Amino acid sequence: MKTVRACKTCHVLTESDICPNCSLPTSKRWRGYVIIHDPDSSQIAQKMNITKPGKYALKVM
Amino acid sequence: MQNTHFEETTDEKSKIFTIKTQVGKEQNTADLINSRSGKSKIKIPSILVTPELRGYIFLESYDKERVKEMIKTVSYARNMLEGDIPIEQIEHFLIPASAVAKIAEGDVVEMVAGPFRGETAKVTHIDDTKEEITVELFESVVPIPITVRGEQVRVIKRKEEEEKKEEEMEK
Repeated sequence: MKTVRACKTCHVLTESDICPNCSLPTSKRWRGYVIIHDPDSSQIAQKMNITKPGKYALKVM
Repeated sequence: MQNTHFEETTDEKSKIFTIKTQVGKEQNTADLINSRSGKSKIKIPSILVTPELRGYIFLESYDKERVKEMIKTVSYARNMLEGDIPIEQIEHFLIPASAVAKIAEGDVVEMVAGPFRGETAKVTHIDDTKEEITVELFESVVPIPITVRGEQVRVIKRKEEEEKKEEEMEK
């Protein structure tokens, strides 16, 4: 099973070593987990400035 | 009156509900709810799992009763807490505190994960940016500094407590 990694900039979770959104290296050390389905109607997404649906980490080390 | 509206309107503001889960299975529960919501066509704009709050997850939705019914079929989900909570109350969870925030140099810690699990050690250095700490194991003959992650240890004795105890012993 591949480890889930998080982008250091946009916090999106991916299995790739490079973030699919920002093309920056990802980290395997992250904490917190957010699933965003509908960023427009989600209060949490608005607070976190997330505009794309997906899975995100709260903190990336 | 029973709610017979199955089509939810997006005009109204979503509410944040708290779901009680099995401890350690918060992320699995969130994934299961996420896949289940698609099948049962319940609008769940977001699900939040915070590392600080074990055994609970937050879920954003519109219809409390439908969510309550849906989580009954989700393994690891226990029940839903009554009432919704304002976003202001969970805002601080969106920026998790550092894993080493409550650890100070000189504290006695117990290793809770990794190859030294169960052993006690003294904190000699804290790296706040990497959220790592350097410890010296009590049981090792030669003191070798080991660097571990902040979440891999549990504080069992604070430095101040240790100092107080030593003072009392001297008296």
